[in-house]
Amino acid sequence: MHHLLVFNIIDQIRTLGWPGFWSLLRNGIVSGSLLALIALGYTMVYGILQLLNFAHGDIYMVGAFIGYGVLQAFGGAEMASFPIVPLIIIMFAVAMVGSGVLGVAIERVAYKPLRNAPRIAPLISALGVLFFLESSVQLLTNSAHVLYEGVYLGGNYPSTFGPLLNSVFTVDGIPFTTVDTLVVLAAVALMVMLVWLVYRTRFGKAMRAVAFDREAAAMMGIDVDRVISMTFFIGSVLAGAAGVMYGLYIGDTSFTLGFQYGLLAFTAAVVGGIGSIPGAMLGGLLVGLFQNFATGYVGGQWSDIVVFGILIGFLIIRPNGILGSKAIQKV
Amino acid sequence: MSDTPDTPGVPEPPPEPPAETESGPKVGVDSWVASHEGRTQRGPLGWLAHGWESTPDWIKLLAFVAIAASLPYWLLRSEGDLFNFGLYTLLFVGFGLGLNVVVGYAGLLDLGYVAFLGIGSYTYALLSSPYYGIHWPAEAVIPIAMLAATIPAAILGFSARRLLGDYLAIVTLFFAEAFVVFTNVANPVLFGKGLTGGANGIPQVDPLTFFGYKISSTKQEYFFLIGAVAVVAGALYLANQSRTGRAWRASREDPLAAEVMSMPVNRLKILAFIFSSAVAGLFGAIFAAILTAAVSTQFGIPFLITIYAVIILGGLGSIAGVFVGAILINCTFVFLEPQTDHPGFKRWLFYGAIIVLVALLKPWYKAVVVFVGTIATGFVAHAVVQAWGGSAWTGGKTINGASWLSHWVIIPKTSHGNFDNILYIGLVVAMVVVMMLKGWWRIIALGPTLYLTAVVWENVLSENPGVTALILFGAMLVGLMIKRPQGLLGQARVEIV
Amino acid sequence: MLKKVGLVALLASLLSVVVATTAWGSAKAPANAGAVAAKSVKCGTKVTIGVAYPETGPAATLGTPQWDWANFAKKTWNKSHKLKLAFVRGDTQLAGNNPQAVQVAHAFASNGKILAVSGPAGSQEMEDTASVWKGANLGPVSGSETRVALTRALPGTPRETTPGYFFRTVPNDGQQGDNVATFIHKKLKKTNVRIIDDEEAYSQGLSLQVKNDLQKVGVTVTTDHISQQNPDYNSVIAAIPGNTQLVYIPWQVPAMAQQFFTQLRANGDHQIVMGSDGTDDPSTFKGAGSYVSGFPVQTNAPALKSFKKAHGGDPETFGLPTYTSVMVNATALQMACNAGHGKTTRAAVRKDVAKVKLSKAVSLLGFPVVFLKGNHGKFQGNGDMGGTAAFGIYKIQPNGSYSRVG
Repeated sequence: MHHLLVFNIIDQIRTLGWPGFWSLLRNGIVSGSLLALIALGYTMVYGILQLLNFAHGDIYMVGAFIGYGVLQAFGGAEMASFPIVPLIIIMFAVAMVGSGVLGVAIERVAYKPLRNAPRIAPLISALGVLFFLESSVQLLTNSAHVLYEGVYLGGNYPSTFGPLLNSVFTVDGIPFTTVDTLVVLAAVALMVMLVWLVYRTRFGKAMRAVAFDREAAAMMGIDVDRVISMTFFIGSVLAGAAGVMYGLYIGDTSFTLGFQYGLLAFTAAVVGGIGSIPGAMLGGLLVGLFQNFATGYVGGQWSDIVVFGILIGFLIIRPNGILGSKAIQKV
Repeated sequence: MSDTPDTPGVPEPPPEPPAETESGPKVGVDSWVASHEGRTQRGPLGWLAHGWESTPDWIKLLAFVAIAASLPYWLLRSEGDLFNFGLYTLLFVGFGLGLNVVVGYAGLLDLGYVAFLGIGSYTYALLSSPYYGIHWPAEAVIPIAMLAATIPAAILGFSARRLLGDYLAIVTLFFAEAFVVFTNVANPVLFGKGLTGGANGIPQVDPLTFFGYKISSTKQEYFFLIGAVAVVAGALYLANQSRTGRAWRASREDPLAAEVMSMPVNRLKILAFIFSSAVAGLFGAIFAAILTAAVSTQFGIPFLITIYAVIILGGLGSIAGVFVGAILINCTFVFLEPQTDHPGFKRWLFYGAIIVLVALLKPWYKAVVVFVGTIATGFVAHAVVQAWGGSAWTGGKTINGASWLSHWVIIPKTSHGNFDNILYIGLVVAMVVVMMLKGWWRIIALGPTLYLTAVVWENVLSENPGVTALILFGAMLVGLMIKRPQGLLGQARVEIV
Repeated sequence: MLKKVGLVALLASLLSVVVATTAWGSAKAPANAGAVAAKSVKCGTKVTIGVAYPETGPAATLGTPQWDWANFAKKTWNKSHKLKLAFVRGDTQLAGNNPQAVQVAHAFASNGKILAVSGPAGSQEMEDTASVWKGANLGPVSGSETRVALTRALPGTPRETTPGYFFRTVPNDGQQGDNVATFIHKKLKKTNVRIIDDEEAYSQGLSLQVKNDLQKVGVTVTTDHISQQNPDYNSVIAAIPGNTQLVYIPWQVPAMAQQFFTQLRANGDHQIVMGSDGTDDPSTFKGAGSYVSGFPVQTNAPALKSFKKAHGGDPETFGLPTYTSVMVNATALQMACNAGHGKTTRAAVRKDVAKVKLSKAVSLLGFPVVFLKGNHGKFQGNGDMGGTAAFGIYKIQPNGSYSRVG
């Protein structure tokens, strides 16, 4: 039975050929960029607090919904010929700020009191926040799916973001659309800004210091609470931006988004080495590529298992992730 | 410091400790830590705690069995209640006992536990159902189910050697996800049929049949489960008291030190996984028999989180805690679910819970201020809205049995979707603000916030009881961790970082 | 001394809990399931129907419209009848938590007030609870369970419910799948089809039926799967073989069908998309040139219009069969209460459900409702709707409206 599967894969690769390859590569890069943005939030919080913030995926989901709210305020997804660029900028701005504030609020309420509690306490608290957020959004949206892109292509009804789906350039017949390039460019820009912030500014230095040794940093006069809050803020801002990008790219969102994507982004952070910023970016890209290639070549039902299998195998061989640093055990 | 220099080079003798001025222990001196047990809680809660701690453990188990066995005759007389409140609680106790071994005793974060439950369920379902036509009796199938669950657990435990805490959690989480995907979608074809039945699962599973005796009615299942839970709890208790238990506790607190003291930490980890998965296989099989089906989607992450909540609420590492946690969580959930038909009672329970929580504020005059503030805000708000909007805004539903309440809470006649959303978001913001304020500002802010809670409850939450249960569950987890991270019956631990 | 006081206090508090809860317990309906099942209940002015649907969980997007439609049915009925309806709702959390459905079944079974049930929503839930309903003498009327084996024994699968103890107000997978396969083969004359299911039981059932039917007439069928929770279809689209002419997506969420269509076209692919009745929603799924199965509903029926108005212009029809099931139950209750002169039992109501006949105007489904007593055709059995009950096939026009073509 197993050799049949391998033959199927080879067959599929040959059938899809180069156009298929470019298609899958494009998909992998775009969804990988989204995953990288979310994974960065996970990794930064882990680096500073050694906390796996399971609620982070929900912040991403809330960002997507805030963007949708802004869209609705301006008239919805079916307006004809509305200036897209200012609309998108406003959606990004509001969603990023909103998610950032939410992230800081969560940190203050659910994690700060638990700084000195046993490791499992903030983990359970994060799970509680996850349930709370997801159910709250479910309550507020009445469990419905919401559409960003409205209706489209091939019909004669208006669509706000229709122009986004025009192709910018093609490779071997496979179109790379405006939204694809927008997502990748925006993700790269945000990551560049983050790297600049963390490695080239004084505040970044403070962040790295707190991640390295919280007590020593406090003793050197760094306001640890402020640094931690800012870390959450930055991570959540990235997640909020990713949420809006997801809405524009996929076009549909619902309250279950955070859970699914959160798990995948978490995987990405771990594979790249949790606690390492370049690791999160690399991990996000890898997971995105793996997932899309597996879906394309192996088939929808096996792709998840393949991805998980590769990642488990990975972790067993390199337990600290690709770019992770070996944790020193103290007695 | 004396001012006459003594022989140069010889350090001064340390100063004499001051004479004890009172008969109690002193802060900063080790005896304070040592006499921790002596500083019991005061008052009635203290007496209860004392009584609890002084009863021998076997009496507690016996009392539980006796009370549980008597329940179908006075409290859970209707079959639906027996199933939902009684049987389900016992199932959760069983699940929690298994997880308690690996998380509570050995301190390993195992997020793949539901997969072992699933393996137990599916093994039983495949060997005792018309699916493949195999109908083996339970006494043969259950050991097979337990064995089937321990095999992947041993493999996982083996891989735990190289993985530190968080990474182990991740690998086990992937295993759980992979299990759901495998059974739901991959469903490889074996002997002509999909092995796991896909999204439909394996239906019409036989009830448990031990040596010819069929356990098919709810009452029979209930009594059987009491016995099973008691036996497993007893066995795990003995395991905990043994050398292995002590070794687990040592490796939980400080693995490196334990290794240095020549305890085989890696083997202990594998052993913990095996014990936990054996229990999981057993109760997974019983689960399938009671539900008469094995469906993959039930073994997902929300289920895992519920079992975790059970053992965390009860207190990690405490068997009695698992019982308490399961009773509290399952009974509350089932009670809040819409199919338990007591809308009025739920309202009073909700208000009652809030009143009790507020009354716990110390000193007592703070609680009074909060109550007065809440009631006053209510009447003022109601009057204002009435004057401004008329009865379209306050005429909403009449509350059976408490019409005075409708003069206090604002319930608009027609629900304006956006109004509800704004109310809810406003409530969340208000709660965050209350948490961040301190002292008297917090007390003052609490009044209007509680009133807003009542309004949101009447307008939004009671219309969506299922979602409300989940929201309250999430809030409960956060609140529990902040107030009492060791759970109800757990022991407060200080982690060595 | 403290220990003794503690022990006494513990016992005292235990005793008080026992006394309090006994008082609460004995106030409720007593006795075993058998007594409840056979109890004679006074109709009075209000009768109770249990409504089981997924209020929470990943399938909540499907449950909410069902509940909305059920409530609409209640309002409509209560306006024009003296015997008023009351609901007890059960959250079955479909696809997230199967045991929940069993819990709901037990709770309903023991609730003496409940004389009829609408729901549950998922076929696998019915499989697991069939014995509970039978023991409770209830015959649930479901608006969305489509598995053929629930009403008809097929080679290799016996019938999964007892005749007379299950009814459905929606055509089953065999009927719909057969219809769709015939349309694809005969009308659209396609020879290369790809079926993508969303890994849910409903989807897998339809997919299997259509695949078997098409392969029997020589059409090339390839299959793929994507989780209902994951709307990123780009790679699934990339994996579609180049010579595929039609993609069949038997999904339950219209928004996702629309997204699939959008992404397919954005990828430059030109295959025709065909959805199932789960994607039938003119306000969401508007991909021009696509096909959809759906109820032959009259969109300008006054009842439909007022539902639309009450729900912000969204006439989604996934929950419509739940409306019909409530009407079926209400009619049966009325019949039973009249026959029993103000008193009736669950068994009587159940037998009356089998006799219910609803006109086209009342059922809102576009055809009158009458239940079969025995096997009929290739896929129907006792509990299915007979007569002209069937899905129609619609084509989506460039302006987004649906027009019937099959």
